[in-house]
Order: sequence, then C-alpha cells, then structure tokens
Amino acid sequence: MKKNQVKSQFVAVASIAAELSDVMNVAKEISLAAANAKAIAFRAGEKAKGFQPITDFINELAKDTINLVNNINLQAVKLYQLTVNEHKMTAASNQLARVKKLTGNAAYEASMNTSQEQAEQRKMDCRREFQSHVDQLLEQLASVMHPARAARVIAANSRIEASQAGEYLQSLQAVAESVDNAALVIHSNVQRCRTALSIINFTD
Amino acid sequence: MKMTKIYEGPYQWLMFGRDENKPDKIIDTNQYVVRTGSRCLVIDPGGVELFAPMLAAVLHHAPVEEITDLFASHQDPDIISSLGLWDQALPNAKLHASALWEGSIRHFGCETIEYIPIQDNGGVITLDRVELQVIPAHYMHASANFNIYDPNAKILMSGDVGAALEEPGAPVFVDNFDEHVEKMRFFHQRWMPSNQAKRFWIDRVRDLDVEILAPQHGRMFKGDDVKRFLDWFDALQVGIAV
Repeated sequence: MKKNQVKSQFVAVASIAAELSDVMNVAKEISLAAANAKAIAFRAGEKAKGFQPITDFINELAKDTINLVNNINLQAVKLYQLTVNEHKMTAASNQLARVKKLTGNAAYEASMNTSQEQAEQRKMDCRREFQSHVDQLLEQLASVMHPARAARVIAANSRIEASQAGEYLQSLQAVAESVDNAALVIHSNVQRCRTALSIINFTD
Repeated sequence: MKMTKIYEGPYQWLMFGRDENKPDKIIDTNQYVVRTGSRCLVIDPGGVELFAPMLAAVLHHAPVEEITDLFASHQDPDIISSLGLWDQALPNAKLHASALWEGSIRHFGCETIEYIPIQDNGGVITLDRVELQVIPAHYMHASANFNIYDPNAKILMSGDVGAALEEPGAPVFVDNFDEHVEKMRFFHQRWMPSNQAKRFWIDRVRDLDVEILAPQHGRMFKGDDVKRFLDWFDALQVGIAV
C-alpha cells in the first residue's frame, strides 16, 4: 500500500467515526422532538388525535437509529484497529523484504525466510479481515438508511395530521419539519460514510 | 552499516554504526551486539529507520532464532522505536528494559517479544555462560536509565553518557581527547539534568574496571581516554537549561 493510500485509509476511517457521531446527535434530537410532539399532542387532545400514534413511531425510529449507530460505532472502532494492524503488518512485511535485499551474502540470510513469509501472511490476513469488515459496515450503514427513509414518510404524515390540529398547527408542523430535517441529515451523513468506505475499497 | 569487533574471546562484542544510507535528519546511533555460542543480545537496537540495515548486518553473525535478547537503555525512539519490527522478525526474543518504561515502550509494538522489566537497582542478563551486569544510570539522561557492563571484556555500554554529535563517517574510537571534548560539551550539559545523578554515576563507574566506554552516539573511549572522560565529566556542570 502506498503512503497516500495509507493516509486516505486513516482519514476515511476517522471521518466515518465523525459522521457517525453526528448521526447519533441527530437521532437524539429526533428523540427529543418525539417527546415534545407527544406533549403537544396530549395538550391538543382530540384535535391531534391522529398525531398521537405518530409520536410513538417517531420515538421508535429514534431509538432504532440510536441502537444501530451504537452498534456501527463499535464496528467503526474495530475498523480503526484493523486499519492500524494492517498498517503495522504492511510496514513489517516491507521492512523484512528490505532486510532480504540488504543482507547480500550474509551467512544466516536464509534464517529470515520463515519470518518474512509469516509477516507476508499476516499482512494478507489483516487485509482480508479489513475488507470483510468494510463490507459488513456497508451493510450496517444501509440498514440505517431504512429508518431515515421511514422518518421522512412519517414527517409527511405528520404534516397532514398537523393541518387538522387547529391552534396547534404551527407547533406540530415544527415537529414534522424537525423530523424531516433530521432524516435528511442522517441520510446524507450515512451516504458520506458509505462513500468514504467505498474510497477505501477503491484505493486498495 | 559499518561493523567493528571490539572484543573477541569465547564470545564477541560487535559495534554497528555509521550507516551510509541513514536519512539525513535522523541522529546517527551506535548499536552493540554481544554474540555468544547460541545467543545474541542487541543493545539499543535503534530507530525504526535503522531496522532493516541493522538486522541485515546482524544476519552476518547470527540467525534470527538466535537473536534472543534485546536491551533498551531507555525509552527514546532512537533507542527502541524499531521494536515493533523486531517483534515481527524474531521468533523467540526477550526485551530487557526498565520496569518504569514498560507502558511507554510497548507503544512501539511488543506482542510476541517478552518484556523483561528491570527494577531500579539493575540486574544481570545471562547469555549462555556470559553474565552481563545491568548498571543503574538513572537521570543519565532518562529518568529510568541503564548501562550494560561486561566485567570480563571490560566494556561499559554507557548509553547517552559519553555521546558526541559527529560528522558522518567519523572514526569509531576517540583519537584525540582534547579535540573531542567540544563535540560532547553541549550534549552533556543540556541532556544530562542532574549534577547529583552525574556524581552518583561517576562514583559507580570509577569502581568498575573499564577498558572501553561505548556510548550510543559518536566515538568509543579506550584505555586512558576512559579515565580522561570521567575526569572531564566530573568537572562539567550539567542541567544548564534551568
């Protein structure tokens, strides 16, 4: 792996962690919006009857997203460890190959063979594990897209229900807007994570 | 990498250094190897940049499975940042280093190599029938610091004590002590923090029978130059930055 590729791999993994941290914050905002919406719907009583079950959906979505992102965060930490391991193993393998070139006619040159083969094998194992982990992470990120899409549908329904809530119209519309914006942010952050991971695969 | 044999008996002391291919901005270092019948100790194996030429040079004298011991006088990167690479190359090796520095040194990578912690009062490293004394040299310059003394070969590997910043390709032994002094002065005044620790180290070393004083940078001292160095160092005020 070339130096720039190593750098881009470290940067990509770090940027994924940052994006996921943002997704987590937004999911928490949705959760707050759900609690707020529930309070408004309760106050609105009959006028917001249709809105009440929606607040439960919003809350569920926020919870699902937080759980998914928590899990993905753990995977992202593991991906970082794998990146470090792969970097170390690649460096070791390259250095041992360099030793081989520099030994000339050293009496004990052949004693290096096993270490060199093992280092090469460990490098390949690390690379395989890393790639398999990237694939898993891409799948998990795709799974975060589902609640984000569902949140947008719920936001659209919320707007309709809000329109029948009389003086609570503005408050409930604000909730719908908030959910919609959050869903958009999650969608775009997750998309950036997936792009970053795809770049890692591409640079391989 | 240039090799100089500094002791030949039932076992050998080898000095490696003056690597012509060393990157310019990296300080030149001396590595020492004690080769016995079936074992090999690499003393202050060096920085990560030096790993390949150093191992390639040692392979002229020992197979990897007989490179059984590494020693780090302290935790600096020019001493031991190559550890993670030795860790991948040596199938059965131990690292002897200060117990105090274990948490720091492990940052360089130490998964298969066994870390043998040296307590503050020093100890002994045994290679076949050869016993090497691990002499405390704390605060000279690192807060936990050790030298290696071989009473049979009368060699003291003194770490940074006696070090000098030299031009590439400088001779391996001091040939004119008075001229050499200026290459050492600032290094010792600035890098050695404590006159008390210096006094303690000098008293300890004066009790040893030393024929070669072998620092980690610059030239080695031989014969009367060892005493000249101790006298000069005795009179030098160190810790000048405060």
